[in-house]
Amino acid sequence: MLYLQDVTINRGSKIVFYNWNAKIENSKVTIISGKNGVGKSTLLRAIAGMIPLEKGIVKNYNNEIFKDRIKWGQNLIYIDSKNGLSKDLTVFENLKTWSEMRGWKTSDDDLQKALDNLEMLNHKNLYVSQCSEGLKKRAALSRLYLSFLFDVEFWLLDEPTNELDKKSIILFNKLVQRFLENKGTVLLACHELKLFDFSYELLNLDLLKK
Amino acid sequence: MSLQSSFIQIFISHIKREFLINFRSLVDVISIISFMILIVTLFVLGIGPFEEKLALISNAIFWIGLILAIIPSLEKTLQRDYDNGWLDQTITSPTPMELILLSKSLAYWLIVIIPLLISLPLFIVLLNINLKLIPWLLISILVGGLSISLIGIIGSALTLGAKRGNILLPILIIPLIIPILIFGVGISEAVRINESPLGNLFLLIGFTLIYLVISPFISAFLIRIAISR
Repeated sequence: MLYLQDVTINRGSKIVFYNWNAKIENSKVTIISGKNGVGKSTLLRAIAGMIPLEKGIVKNYNNEIFKDRIKWGQNLIYIDSKNGLSKDLTVFENLKTWSEMRGWKTSDDDLQKALDNLEMLNHKNLYVSQCSEGLKKRAALSRLYLSFLFDVEFWLLDEPTNELDKKSIILFNKLVQRFLENKGTVLLACHELKLFDFSYELLNLDLLKK
Repeated sequence: MSLQSSFIQIFISHIKREFLINFRSLVDVISIISFMILIVTLFVLGIGPFEEKLALISNAIFWIGLILAIIPSLEKTLQRDYDNGWLDQTITSPTPMELILLSKSLAYWLIVIIPLLISLPLFIVLLNINLKLIPWLLISILVGGLSISLIGIIGSALTLGAKRGNILLPILIIPLIIPILIFGVGISEAVRINESPLGNLFLLIGFTLIYLVISPFISAFLIRIAISR
């Protein structure tokens, strides 16, 4: 359970959240919706620890998440439109270097299973520069499978389905279902709500921010 | 239930990643210092067959070439990792950003040193470098190259996320580079006039140690600011 208490977040001179309070329930999907520019990405990045909070705290149950930044970082996976992929590496090498960066010892078998979850196994030796946007997104989302091996509790996803075709969205949904069954929490920014076949909580920033 | 790597293993894996990205083919290896070869060649051709003139400034040309080899490629790599979101991802790494940037500096130092050592004979011929200078040149490249790498990361972190003013920002690192240039060239000059280069060498080592400490902290601070934009 994430509690945001009196959170104030600035982006440059603009105040995006001011003394804002919210609760995000665990083992559920919470969809952050709202107009462009209302602060969906800002909220995700702030919870991920990339944007500092001007004021206020975020608690995971009773623990302030930013008291131990490293432990919090280990507990989440953040994926946005940039994907974090190196175009000079293959899909497989990207996953491997990402997992090593996270300090996780994974076998090649684990990584292949991760890619297989989004049907990227056939493309594992493609250079990212050769991949379409859809394939790139699937390459990035393949990381999510590793949550099941390494105790990750939170997924922070910024519009993860934009580039995905119907088949991939089904695969993504399956991954989310499995994560929820494993007591994971998903925080997802999205415009198109009809794509998901799981139930979700709605955090509508247009309504809730003032 | 997690298999965790140690800091050192993660550190090494970051270096391996830079090698993987940069050394895909033999062409990549040479092209790292292609700019340096270009600069040195143009200088030598421009100055012409005046051996005394060349002897006076060949040391400086070499060091400037080295600086121009390391710093732009560092900047390119940091910009790339920022643009594609990799730096964002490293926020969730168990190793602090400081260590990650230190590993980048070391990686690029190694990545430049290797082709440089391979093409050193070319430079020796082009610049008419005296053979007795070579061991000192090697030591000063190894130490000075590390310094340049550490300084380059700071410069690159400064330009990250900067909008249009980024032509001016690299100028800010000139004060950091000057001691390296002076002492690096000083080592070669001392050998040339048959004096001991040790004074200059120790100063070069001293500055490198200082940069070894301050560079990761300063650049990590700058990168965190860039990420939060």
